[in-house]
Amino acid sequence: MNIRKPQRAESYIPTASMADIAFLLIVFFMVTTTITVDRTRVALPTSLERTEVPKDAAVIAIEEGGVVHFSDGEEQSRVINMGDVLPAAAFVIEKNSLKWFVIKADGNAEYQHVDRVMEQLRQASVRNIAMLTGQESVS
Amino acid sequence: MKVEKKRTEPEIPTASMADIAFLLIVFFMITSVFSVTRGIEFSLPKNDTNETPPDSQEEAIHVHIVPAGGDCVFEVDKQQMALSDIQIYIEPKLARNPNKFVIIDPDPTAPYRCMVDAFDELKQAQVKNISIPTAAEKAAWGGVI
Repeated sequence: MNIRKPQRAESYIPTASMADIAFLLIVFFMVTTTITVDRTRVALPTSLERTEVPKDAAVIAIEEGGVVHFSDGEEQSRVINMGDVLPAAAFVIEKNSLKWFVIKADGNAEYQHVDRVMEQLRQASVRNIAMLTGQESVS
Repeated sequence: MKVEKKRTEPEIPTASMADIAFLLIVFFMITSVFSVTRGIEFSLPKNDTNETPPDSQEEAIHVHIVPAGGDCVFEVDKQQMALSDIQIYIEPKLARNPNKFVIIDPDPTAPYRCMVDAFDELKQAQVKNISIPTAAEKAAWGGVI
């Protein structure tokens, strides 16, 4: 009697859904990522006290030499003169009086640069500011 | 005679789709930079030129920051002290008056990070009223501090 050999099912790893998973990951990262309005490279000072800054805040970056970058929180930051912070901030405050301003200054910058920016923000009736800091290591 | 044609089933090759997708993920992971979104909050005073110094009835604690060769020296009420000693100095004063004003007065040439250090130290000491007058405000106060 002829006994037929049982048919063997070919073994394989199902990879059809791999692309779905990967695209799902891409979509997740795209949705959760926020685009930075300011890419000025500064060495931030560190602090233990750190609170979350509102995401749509206007950003004023101050480089070590005193060069000022300004962003209203929507457009990419641009270099402006130190004396132009007041009209730029006043324009932003006119639209939203409770707008947060983030000061992103280099830790090694002389304080007078920050002082001049703060004075102009005060004159522009800005109330809420945050000084961006890095995480201080606890020793 | 009938010739049977072998039909190949039509299909879209999707085997490399996952490779492409993972390549995209890796690309985004490498090019993305983490932005710092944390810092110290601070409320600016109202834009009022007739404003008086924050503490006219009782003396405020005065923290003067003097640059010293790339670093700073902290003078609290004219006494030179280390950053870590500021908290010890301020605590008994705060116990007596929790609303005690502290004025941070950095030298114009002092590094900004020293001001942040002092501010952070005062926040750790639970000081409620911290004032950082600008040069224009100090001039308006007429050299009170």
